[in-house]
Amino acid sequence: MSRLTVKLGKLVLPNPVMLASGILSHGSLLEKALREGAGAVVTKSLTLKGRKGYETPVVVGVEEGLVNAVGLANPGYKDFLKNDLQMIKEKNRVIVSIAGDGPDEFVKIASSAEDAGIAAVELNLSCPHVKKHGLEIGKDPKLVRRIVKDTRGVLKIPVHVKMGFCDELIRSSLVAEDAGADAVVAINTLPAMVIDVYSRKPILSRICGGLSGPAIHPIALRCVYELYRELSIPVIGCGGVKDWQTATEFLLAGAKAVQVGSAVAIKGLKVFSEITEGLAKYLKEYGFESVDILMGSLEGKK
Amino acid sequence: MSYGKSVLAFEEFGFRPGKVERVVRETSKMVSVYIKLHLPNLPRPGQFLMIWVPDAEEVPMSVSGAGRRWVRISVLGRGKTTSKIQKLRRGDLVGVRGPFGRGFSLKGKSHLLVGGGSGVAALIYASKTISDQKKECVFLIGAKTSSELPFLREVKRLNQKLLMATEDGSAGYKGVVTDLVEPILIKKDFDSVMTCGPEKMMVKTVELALKHGVRVQASLERYMKCGFGVCGSCVLDPVGLRVCTDGPVFDGRILLQTDFGKFKRDAAGRRRPI
Repeated sequence: MSRLTVKLGKLVLPNPVMLASGILSHGSLLEKALREGAGAVVTKSLTLKGRKGYETPVVVGVEEGLVNAVGLANPGYKDFLKNDLQMIKEKNRVIVSIAGDGPDEFVKIASSAEDAGIAAVELNLSCPHVKKHGLEIGKDPKLVRRIVKDTRGVLKIPVHVKMGFCDELIRSSLVAEDAGADAVVAINTLPAMVIDVYSRKPILSRICGGLSGPAIHPIALRCVYELYRELSIPVIGCGGVKDWQTATEFLLAGAKAVQVGSAVAIKGLKVFSEITEGLAKYLKEYGFESVDILMGSLEGKK
Repeated sequence: MSYGKSVLAFEEFGFRPGKVERVVRETSKMVSVYIKLHLPNLPRPGQFLMIWVPDAEEVPMSVSGAGRRWVRISVLGRGKTTSKIQKLRRGDLVGVRGPFGRGFSLKGKSHLLVGGGSGVAALIYASKTISDQKKECVFLIGAKTSSELPFLREVKRLNQKLLMATEDGSAGYKGVVTDLVEPILIKKDFDSVMTCGPEKMMVKTVELALKHGVRVQASLERYMKCGFGVCGSCVLDPVGLRVCTDGPVFDGRILLQTDFGKFKRDAAGRRRPI
């Protein structure tokens, strides 16, 4: 086992650097991300029926990141499991993200995904721009409990929950843990918008969207730090990871793994090997035998 | 990486304002729009721009011509947004990002260009560059009928050999443009073939070029949500290539290992037969 191997409950990954949900989307590209060095890949959030998403523009660059409102575009879970998943060799490194409209949909999609041989599911409880499919869930601890409990109840594979930055982050995460979640992924994009001053129009067709990228990294880092202290299940850090340093920050704050999204736009798929190589070097140089030992080993922690 | 630099800035995925300077009718179906704007660098032939029409959507568009302070796009107006682009008038504003993607490699001394439909747009810019480099080029253009053949005067002005094909025989050879490919490959030696247009036409051109041992590149069109490699909409399965960043111009031998000519993804990401 290399220093980079991580265990997320039952899930054993060759390294802690995953592809975040919503990036690359399709089977053959997820397969490519794995070949390029990602420890695991998270699919685009799958819904019961296929969704075209919003009209373009759906994603736009700003100085410190990307603002998007794609609208959960996906071919529908059946289509994805039938076509896209089959393009991926190691299905035990695929985490299926689910955006259900209510507990029953989460359960239905999760069960089919498990039957298709995937590693884990990630419940998207925090999409900031699709009604009934996101942030409203994460802000409602009662609903979080029901969705996690129902899904956990029917699955053998791990259940991760993806939380957004909100006042109820800690409370909802504790509820998710109590309901049986195996890990918490934090955070999703932050509510944002972009205006074109020349046409005086919002750029995204949906007007508002979510900000990802370097700008949200320090915010995500603090969320991970607080969640690590409150929870006993693993935390997966997501938000603005663009190099081995930002990934290592998450691990030091207490994350057991990290997810990379927007950085794919500026660095391409080589971002995965760049981060894992940098991290391996860091572990060796500073004498950490494993990611587990590094995890949460923040100096001066009170 | 596609743009010469290995790391890009997120700002490069924002829009620049472009002002419509001139609108020119090229054929009964095609309109060219000249847009005044500042681009970080001159687009290479085969590269594309994402054009956002504030009252409609954003679409990828091949560059059909460019200078220091302007670009030209040439559109057929088949969709909602491209129809809006055709109706733009001098002074109108559009949002532009790019240039994105890899263009054509212009290595070699003699090139055969095979174009049809809106694909001729990317090739006319390539032929201009080839001409500027004082290299030789034969341009094959196909259309349904003579009134749909674009850029004829422009090709003549570049002093390049032009062969036309129309399905109704109203100009040049009567038939499809790919009928002209094999005879000319037999008659003349080319260092490379470049093709852009309807996908079935490109498949045929790629097969013929490879059969005659000539290097061939094709420029593809796919639905795109972002244009810079994150959304995955423009994927070529099962190899996992993105038309926006790994292309839109690909080597023909690589394309034959993909869904080229067979499937494309729709806005939801479903695989649709071509």
